[in-house]
Amino acid sequence: MSDMAIKLFSWINSRLPIVNTFERHLSKHPVPSKVNFWYLFGALAAVTLIIQVISGIWLIMPYSNTEEEAFSSIEYIMRDVDYGWVIRYIHTTGASLFFAVVYLHMFRGLLYGSYQKPKELVWIFGCTIYLAMMAEGFLGYVLPYGQMSYWGAQVIISLFGAIPYIGESLELWVRGDYYISGITVSRFFALHVVALPLVLIALVFLHLVALHEVGAGNPEGVDIEKHLDDDGVPLDSVPFFPYKVLNALVAIGVFMTVFSIIMFFFPEGGGYFIEMANFQEANPLVTPDHIAPVWYYAPFYTMLRAIPDPLGGLIVMAAAVAIFFVVPWLDRSKVASIRYKGIYSKIAITLFGVSFLTLGYLGTVGVTEVRKLMSIICTVMYFAYFLLMPIYTKYETTKEVPERL
Amino acid sequence: MKTALWNTDYSLYLSFILPCLFFINILSSAEGGPCKDYGECDEFKYSLNDIESLQRGASTYINYCYGCHSLKYSRWGRVAKDLEIPEDIFFKNLVFDKSIKSGDLMIGAMPEDSANWFGVAPPDLTLVSRYKGDDWIYSYLRAYYEDSSKQYGVNNLVYPGTAMPNVLLSLQGNQRLVCKDIPQIAQNGGEKRDDLGNTLFKEKCGYLEVEEGTGLLSKQEFDALIYDLTNFLVYVGEPSKADRERMGWYVIFYFLIFTALSSLLYREYHKDYNK
Repeated sequence: MSDMAIKLFSWINSRLPIVNTFERHLSKHPVPSKVNFWYLFGALAAVTLIIQVISGIWLIMPYSNTEEEAFSSIEYIMRDVDYGWVIRYIHTTGASLFFAVVYLHMFRGLLYGSYQKPKELVWIFGCTIYLAMMAEGFLGYVLPYGQMSYWGAQVIISLFGAIPYIGESLELWVRGDYYISGITVSRFFALHVVALPLVLIALVFLHLVALHEVGAGNPEGVDIEKHLDDDGVPLDSVPFFPYKVLNALVAIGVFMTVFSIIMFFFPEGGGYFIEMANFQEANPLVTPDHIAPVWYYAPFYTMLRAIPDPLGGLIVMAAAVAIFFVVPWLDRSKVASIRYKGIYSKIAITLFGVSFLTLGYLGTVGVTEVRKLMSIICTVMYFAYFLLMPIYTKYETTKEVPERL
Repeated sequence: MKTALWNTDYSLYLSFILPCLFFINILSSAEGGPCKDYGECDEFKYSLNDIESLQRGASTYINYCYGCHSLKYSRWGRVAKDLEIPEDIFFKNLVFDKSIKSGDLMIGAMPEDSANWFGVAPPDLTLVSRYKGDDWIYSYLRAYYEDSSKQYGVNNLVYPGTAMPNVLLSLQGNQRLVCKDIPQIAQNGGEKRDDLGNTLFKEKCGYLEVEEGTGLLSKQEFDALIYDLTNFLVYVGEPSKADRERMGWYVIFYFLIFTALSSLLYREYHKDYNK
C-alpha cells in the first residue's frame, strides 16, 4: 500500500471503527472449534436474506402494483424482461428455501438448547424474525395476484374478523376495501418491499449483536468461556475469520447447488413452491376447489382448520407461534444439548418433529375424517412438547457434560 | 468408545423420519384425479427442443384454437423467433390480420359478447399448461365423445359438461363411449377361464372408440397432432423453459466447482487448528 492509502485509511479509521469492528466481529471473534452441520443454517439464512433483498429490488422495477396489471406484469417479467424469469425464480425459490433453512435453524436451537441462559435474547430476536418472515411471505404471495394469492389473502385477512368486538373493523382496515382489491395489493406491496424488509434487517442485526455478546453455542452444550488462555480467549475456540467463514463457504456451495437444481429444473417445486392455481389471474367470482397455503404455513393452517370455531382456531394458531418465545423459561434442564438430556426429552423432541411434519403434510391436502382426527392429535402433540417441557426436563436423569469440547 | 445407538444424533434423526413416512402413508388416500371420469391422465412428455413439433403445434393452434382462445401474454414476433420461423413466412401464413406487428400481443379475435355464445367467454390459454398441466391438456383434447344430450352433441370424460364444442371433430372423427367385453381377471392375476378352458369375458363400459372412416386422420396421426399442440402450449406457458433447462446445467456445474474448491481451502485451514 502506498503512503497515501495508509494515511487515508488511518484518517477514516480514527473516525469510523473499521479495524475494531472487523476484529471484534470477524477476525478475532471466537467461535466454538467443534460444531456440526446444524450450525451452518444461520449463515445460510443470512445468505438467503441477501438473495431475497437483491432479487426483490430487481423485481420491483418491472412489477406493477395495480389490480389490472399486477398479474400481467409478472408474465411481462417472465417473458419480455431480459432474464426476468431468472430474477423471479430466484425470488420464489429463495422464499421457500429461506423458510426451509430457518426451520432447520430453529430446530437446531431446540435440539441443542440454543435458547438457554444467557442466550434468551438471541432466541427472542430469532422468534421475532420468524414472525416477521411469516408476514413478509404472506404479503409477497399476494403480489402476483393469482387465484391462490387472492383466496389465500381472503382466508388470512378474514382471520382478523374472528377477533371479538374490533374484528370486523380491523379486517376492513387491513384490507383497505370491502373486498380484496387493487388497494389491498398496493398496500401489501408497500409493506412487503419497504416496511417489513426494514424490520427484518434491523432484527437480524440485533440477533447477531446479541449473539456476538454472549457467544455461539455448540452441540455438546459445553461452556467454552470456562477455560481461557492467557489472552482471555476460550481454549476451545477458533477465530471466526477465516475458519468459520470457510466452513460457511462450503455450506453455501452445497446450498447454492440445491438452490440451482430447484430453480432451473423444478421452479414450481411440484406445486409446493408456486401453486398451479396461481397461474390463473385472481377471480373473485370463482373459488378454487381446494385452497391450500404454501408449504411453509401448512402446519399452522392445519391447526386453524382442526378447530371448528374460527376464534378458537386463530388463538391456537397464534399460540403455536407465540409459544416459541417462552421456550427459554420452559426448559428446566441442567444441560443444554439433547446429547446429555434424558430419555424423556429425546422422546419429546422426536414426537414434536413428527407432529410438525405431519401437520405440514395435512395442511397441503384436503380434509377427511381421519385427517381431521390426525390434525387434532398432532396439534396436541405439538403443544405437549412445549407445555410439558418444565416437567420432563426437570425430572429426568441427565448425563454429565464434559469440561472441554 | 462405543456409544449406545440411541445416543447418537443420527438415530434421533432416523427415529423421526420413519414415523413420518408411516403417518403420511396412512393419511394419503387416493383422491379423485384431475382427469375426472377419464381416470389417470395420460402422461405427456414435452420436448421443447423439437422445433418442428412446436411449429406444427403453433400452426394447429392458430388455425383451430386462436379464433376463440387468445394468448394475450405472448407476442407474435417472439413465437416466430423461438420457433425459428422467418418473420415474413410467419406473418404471411399464420397471421391473418395484416395490421398486426411483430411486437404485438396475441390478444385474440373474439368479440366482447362471445360469452353469450358458449355460456362462458373462451378463456385465454397462455398459461393453461401451467395451471392445468400438460398431462391434462393432452388427455382432455382426446377425450371428447358423442353425447346427444349436450348442446354441441359432445361431452368430455376429462372435463364433464365442458362448454367447448369438439373443434377437431373433422380430424378425429366420431368418438363414442362404448362397452367392451374384456377378459375377467382371476384372483391369482391371470385370466379367468371356464371348465373348457375358454376365457370368460365381462362387459365393461367407458371406453373411447372412434368410428372408422369418419375422421380425416388416423388415431396415431390425431394423437401426434394433439401431442404437437400440447407441446406448443407448454412452450407458450413458459417460453424460456428450454433456455432455463439448458442454462441450469452450467450454473449447477459452477456451484459444484465452487463447493469443491471451497472445501479444499477449508480443509487446508482446518489443519491449522486441529494440530
